[in-house]
Amino acid sequence: MSATAVHAGGIADHIHAEPQGFVRRYIFSIDHKIIGIQYLITGFVFLILAGMLAEVIRTQLLHANGGFVSPDVYNEVYSMHGSSMVWLVIIPLITGGFGNVIMPLQIGARDVAFPWLNMLSFWIFPVAGLMLFSSFLIGAPVAGWTEYPPMSLQAGPGTSMWAAAIFLVGVSSTLTGINFVVTMFQMRAPGMTFTRMPLFCWAQLATAPLLMIATTALAAALAALFMERQFGVPFYDPTKGGSPVMWQHMFWFYSHPAVYIMVLPAFGMISEILPVFARKPIFGYKMIAFSSMSIALLGFMVWAHHMFTSGLAPFLQLPFMILTFTIAIPTGVKIFSWTATLWGGKIHFTTSMLFAVGFVGLFALGGITGIFLAAVPFDFHVHGTYFVIAHFHYVLVGGSLMGVFAGTYFWFPKMTGRLMNETLGKWHFWIFMLGFNGTFLPQHWLGMLGMPRRVPEYDPQFTFWNDFSSISSYVMTFAILLFFINVLWSIRNGKKSGPNPWGGRTLEWQIPSPPHYYNFKHIPTVYGLPYDFGQPLPYRGLEEELTDSPVHVGAH
Amino acid sequence: MVENRAAAVSLGRGFWTVTAVLAVLSVIGIYFCYAEPIDLIMPAVGAQPGEQVDTLLRFMMASGTALFIYVAGYLIYFSIVFRAKATDGPDAVGIQIHDHNVLEFWWTLIPTLFVVLLSILSVKIWYQIQVAQPANGLVVESLGHQWYFTFRYPQVNGEVTGEMHLPINQPVVLNTTSSDVIHSFWVPAFRLKADMIPGLINTIRFTPTVIGRYPIICTEFCGTDHGMMNAQVPGENGKANPGAEYVVVDSPADFQKWYHAVQLKNANASNALPSTSGTISLAGGDAAAGQALFQQKCSACHAIGPFSQRIVGPGLKGVLDDPTHPKLVDGDAATPADVATILQKGFTGDLGHMPDATQNGLSDKDIANLVAYLASLK
Repeated sequence: MSATAVHAGGIADHIHAEPQGFVRRYIFSIDHKIIGIQYLITGFVFLILAGMLAEVIRTQLLHANGGFVSPDVYNEVYSMHGSSMVWLVIIPLITGGFGNVIMPLQIGARDVAFPWLNMLSFWIFPVAGLMLFSSFLIGAPVAGWTEYPPMSLQAGPGTSMWAAAIFLVGVSSTLTGINFVVTMFQMRAPGMTFTRMPLFCWAQLATAPLLMIATTALAAALAALFMERQFGVPFYDPTKGGSPVMWQHMFWFYSHPAVYIMVLPAFGMISEILPVFARKPIFGYKMIAFSSMSIALLGFMVWAHHMFTSGLAPFLQLPFMILTFTIAIPTGVKIFSWTATLWGGKIHFTTSMLFAVGFVGLFALGGITGIFLAAVPFDFHVHGTYFVIAHFHYVLVGGSLMGVFAGTYFWFPKMTGRLMNETLGKWHFWIFMLGFNGTFLPQHWLGMLGMPRRVPEYDPQFTFWNDFSSISSYVMTFAILLFFINVLWSIRNGKKSGPNPWGGRTLEWQIPSPPHYYNFKHIPTVYGLPYDFGQPLPYRGLEEELTDSPVHVGAH
Repeated sequence: MVENRAAAVSLGRGFWTVTAVLAVLSVIGIYFCYAEPIDLIMPAVGAQPGEQVDTLLRFMMASGTALFIYVAGYLIYFSIVFRAKATDGPDAVGIQIHDHNVLEFWWTLIPTLFVVLLSILSVKIWYQIQVAQPANGLVVESLGHQWYFTFRYPQVNGEVTGEMHLPINQPVVLNTTSSDVIHSFWVPAFRLKADMIPGLINTIRFTPTVIGRYPIICTEFCGTDHGMMNAQVPGENGKANPGAEYVVVDSPADFQKWYHAVQLKNANASNALPSTSGTISLAGGDAAAGQALFQQKCSACHAIGPFSQRIVGPGLKGVLDDPTHPKLVDGDAATPADVATILQKGFTGDLGHMPDATQNGLSDKDIANLVAYLASLK
């Protein structure tokens, strides 16, 4: 049988020969799976670096008068921590990493729409990451990941390096967004209508336009900052007629959607993991898909809730406040649907499932404090304090990073053919929960009681809870260390997983682990949703996938 | 399938018991959110409309607590009750239910109603803070600098530092801005904050209601010593923080006393903006005016005596003539221009830190007068 199935978008299908050289296979690969794994490895390396910076912050805050590093070094450290966690860790892991490895497999495609573009997207990222970290050599940025001018205009030359590096990461993100949108519109297997698409792909479909559209606003803002710093073109300096508030608008027009870039794909992972281990369909498939899209849309309309104290015209505060409250509705629907998915299940508590359930609880808490912050009168009190730090770490660590862990335990066997160690994994989960909550829960009341963010020294009455937070953060770091040990150990020594260790029903579990270069011998036809456990699989054309039947490398 | 349908009718072992327990826990949680003293988590209120903010906080905490108790409670309960048992075969599956329209309708409608309710309450309190404040009030200005705040009052010359006094129960209109980068003016006890943005005037309005001394905290990163722009942070080596600044709420009588004292003290201060760069013209310096100004602005730290007579800084008698007086700026004997430079730009040396002209509120003319006065001391 020749491989001439036609994709939903009408693209003729054929299999390319696999490149043979090491460099073409593993370095400059155009295979989405390899590129995804490259993203994951690079992202995890930056997670280690940015995590070390986090521990410098917490060590400094062990004492009310600091003293571990000088204030100037401290300012560089937390600025680089924030910048690298957002742009070099969470976004690449969750879009470039898991999106690349899993999404094309789940829609039954052989690769993304533009494999060469995909390779370019990836290779921009480590270069930009190295640029960002090398800014330490010339005086790293100090004004936080938000880099508000005029402070960022005053700071050392590293800030220009920062702007250039983030610009490059933005280019990489934009290209990935375009690639994913085209892939999902044009390359779904026959029969895979949008209403049969797995929820992880729906989450990527909600995220990709954010990557494409929002990132351009950031790019413009960064280009202007760079030109002002290097060539004196006045965009932001008020003494030359610029507007510092313009930066805040453009920055948050990107960075609020970026919050959803960082968390929507994690929502998608959770929506895949919960049904598999509860052995029952995801509850409210359409509502979860719809809520992802509405969160993405609303995400564009709420940026100024970061600027309630920035002299926004008072009447403009109201629509931003109310629209932000509105996001609670689709988010609530998701949380309730996930909870209901557990009801009546036959739940298997693998490490991946533990992280998925933990995600729902922690993200609920982060979502609730998000509503607090959206309320203008309360925001006047806690804006710029540790309450904000606590909130977004619950969303980005309790949410996104927990999602990354859940997804890694879940899809590691698909990527490597081996299972991760479950015992070590469970230790990782429980120690992480303990350390994480101990680190960030006290920061809520620290902020409300009067501790501002971005300070190397603080009111001595807060010493106890800061020490509590710092010591818990060491516990959290230890848990993450266990995770990395587990990954490294399991690559060589993990139990062989076979194609489908968890009994998953989405397409990626129906092919060998790790999948072949071409993914599918024949592009399958899809007849239904992938969540009906106990029923026959809704696919045809997969009969030969797990056999030794020959593959037809087709000419055009 | 028949078996599954039968199972779908029963909600599971103990479902209603758990629901009732969660309801009780929620009620306890809500009660605690309303009954707990607010100073467990917030500084005591010192101004209106701080209490309304606390009302909103209690409402959000109560509803958030109830929501979280239900979500976490059901997550834990389902996780325990619906675990796969050893007796379940490897192919055992859960109840194959895809959705439930009535349930989804309610869990969409209830959050929507909550959002409507919260919006109404928030808008009401927003209106109190932003719109319904009294039209007249004491107008005060605050400027952020790297790394201190200064204050300006009507009919007070120059700037005031250290303490911003306000009379109790009188509405205040506080206009804020910045002379360099973005700062933020936060008094936690007032529940209010304004970013101080260069080139913009950002206004907050409130009425102090409790006599006291409230620390001012900068909450927008503004450079190296951002952390020191917080009256609660001690200075280096356990000394007092020289940058500690407070809002002081006085009785009307105390406020009047302070206000008149400041008016007198600053009588000769200039309202002209000081220049911190460029060369100051010393021509036409008036030694008599300089002497008056010295008494007000300098005598707290400097004596008119020999160099060794220190208060904070050295004694200044004969600073330009005394050959034993240490050579100041460039190693040569001090000239009037050197002294003017120190007055203009401040100086940090072995003896400590001398603030610059902005911080001391000195105009170019003031500096010329002071130099003329110091030159007249033989």
